[in-house]
Amino acid sequence: MKESPVTRRRVLGTGLALGLGASIRLGPPAAPAFAQGKESFRFGVALPLTGSAAPFGQDQVQALEWAVSDINAQGGAGGRRLQPVIIDTQASPQVAVNVVTRLLSVERTELLITAWSAVTAAVSPIVNRNEVLALIIGANSPRIASMGDYVYTTYPLADVDVALLAKFALHDIKRKTAAVIHINDESGVYGARVFRDHFEKMGGKIVAFESYEPNATDYTGAILKLRVANPEVVHLQGNAGDSPQAVAQLRQLGIKVPITSYTAAYNPQLVAKIGTQADGLIVASLAPGKGDSPAVARYVERWMKEKGREPNNIPVTQYVHDGVYIVRALVEHLDRQGKPLTGKNLRAAMLEVRTFDLPLTGKVTINDNHTVVKPVYLLEVKGGKFTPLKLYE
Amino acid sequence: MYDSTILAQILWTSTATAGFQVLFTIAFAIVLKVNKIWNFTQPALMGIAFYAMYVVVNPLGGPVFAGVAVALVVTGATAYGIERLAFATLRARNSGPIAFFIFTLVFAQFAIYVLTLVFTTEPRFMLQSMIWPMRLVGGVVVSDWDLQAIVITAVLAAALYLFLHFTRPGQFMIAVADNADLAEIYGIDKQAAFRLAMVIAAVFITAAMYIFGARLALFPELTLHVMIFAVAATILGGIGSIFGAAAAAVSISILQQFSVLVVDSRWQPLLVFALLFVAIVFFPEGVRVRRRARADGRASLPAMAGASRAAE
Repeated sequence: MKESPVTRRRVLGTGLALGLGASIRLGPPAAPAFAQGKESFRFGVALPLTGSAAPFGQDQVQALEWAVSDINAQGGAGGRRLQPVIIDTQASPQVAVNVVTRLLSVERTELLITAWSAVTAAVSPIVNRNEVLALIIGANSPRIASMGDYVYTTYPLADVDVALLAKFALHDIKRKTAAVIHINDESGVYGARVFRDHFEKMGGKIVAFESYEPNATDYTGAILKLRVANPEVVHLQGNAGDSPQAVAQLRQLGIKVPITSYTAAYNPQLVAKIGTQADGLIVASLAPGKGDSPAVARYVERWMKEKGREPNNIPVTQYVHDGVYIVRALVEHLDRQGKPLTGKNLRAAMLEVRTFDLPLTGKVTINDNHTVVKPVYLLEVKGGKFTPLKLYE
Repeated sequence: MYDSTILAQILWTSTATAGFQVLFTIAFAIVLKVNKIWNFTQPALMGIAFYAMYVVVNPLGGPVFAGVAVALVVTGATAYGIERLAFATLRARNSGPIAFFIFTLVFAQFAIYVLTLVFTTEPRFMLQSMIWPMRLVGGVVVSDWDLQAIVITAVLAAALYLFLHFTRPGQFMIAVADNADLAEIYGIDKQAAFRLAMVIAAVFITAAMYIFGARLALFPELTLHVMIFAVAATILGGIGSIFGAAAAAVSISILQQFSVLVVDSRWQPLLVFALLFVAIVFFPEGVRVRRRARADGRASLPAMAGASRAAE
């Protein structure tokens, strides 16, 4: 028998096929009993499954897959099975541009769920050009509101929670001087500016405004600068992956003042790695906790039962979970109208429905300016545990 | 004006954080001095050392000293293998410096890709806790990590100095560094000296990665960025001067941290590149401190060769 020759073309072809297959993954298997003749609704999900943000992206995908399973188990979206096509962005804008382009051109999805501000900024021109509806869930750069007709967030941007943190620091805990340390990316730069601008506008003084690079793990220089400035409060605008390191290094260099941060620092890994040294960290969460809602309590129980732990950055996982319910509502709305499920129609459907009642995060209304406003829950680390501090309705 | 506590804090912190940089620099400088190779396989060895420790301490749940011991063996064996299988082969072929340079870069990239495939690009912490006990000394925060970093660096640097100046293998290494072919004529095994230099570099790299990993997270590609510092310090300290390079590493670290008093911290990483640029253009042989000629205790080649023959 003649052996098939190993040619360069064959090796390259096999490698390419493996590479493409490895980075795309389909959602959970089919649930029973879907309406005959109705096609599944495939939608794209671009989240980090590897890289520094992987622990957070993976938990968000898990929450999304549970929501898809639950919806499909109940008969899907008006009889259509929901089928996410999940791709890995590594939270990197460069990677995201490549994989989202492929998702839209090869997989032909008409709706995309994605997150991370830098990723959103990079893929926005692509979704706008292709008229694909993008639901941004978890990114918080204020610029997201103006990234194009097809880019909508279902998650409040930094000018909601970060602005409130500035107010809380100045008025509630009476800190007149603040230092800001932020990661040098889309989310960090613009979120940090929101804190600085609001704090100064209300009469506070920013004594240091320092940054660190996304590919660094040693922030000693920036933190020494903060020590020199001797602030009464520090605001950290990092990402989920670097925030624990930043808080640890702030404390290890003797900065004992309260630290405010947004959801990125609301992370069980942070207190596990830092313990009581994290005391005095005040974070803003944009979703109800298990003490606020029975549905959230059941959701946390599900995590404990199936994974043996709480999710990383739980509020964002709640929003991603609920994002699938928005997708279901849009598909059902268009099916009722007998319209095709195109990105253009999905966008129109979202503006028609506008208000969605969601299981884990409650009611949300999409505003004309592409933003949403939700209650802000402040939590403080005390004795190495996150404890509720204040609710801004 | 800045108060003395702040200045003391910056001095102390920069000295402590210089610890692993000094060890990386010595590792780079000793291979350059003895083997005459710009050893850009060092990021690979750094990654191997870190992830060997990480695997023992984290997934396997072993004690830190076991992790360090395993890392020493794995990194040492890799360094030995690089010298024995690659550098020696290239040398035997009379390959030019560019061949060594390309090989080291390719090897480093290969190892980093493999480590990325296995451990992903997620930053990993070696220890369970990011927090070290700390205390205030005259208003200056001093952590156990700071003390450990300074002590390990000082002990290893002193040990290397004593080894090079007061032991036969160390003196043979210096002889090979001065003139490998002449040393061979006098009966010194230059191949053994090359291998020993690589193994010593591996020891310093492992120690440095322990200090680094005890406080900071690492992902494979970060080793390339950390490496730039060692290159800059080696050039500034004077190529061929191991302890000059170490002193340069301390100076750059202190300069870098004190720069926060006058510039934004985001410019700090640029400082190293600026120094590297200045060093290459204006001080290609390093910044040398003039001093009077003196007997430095080093044995002459003929004397060492005599000792070598006597030992045989």
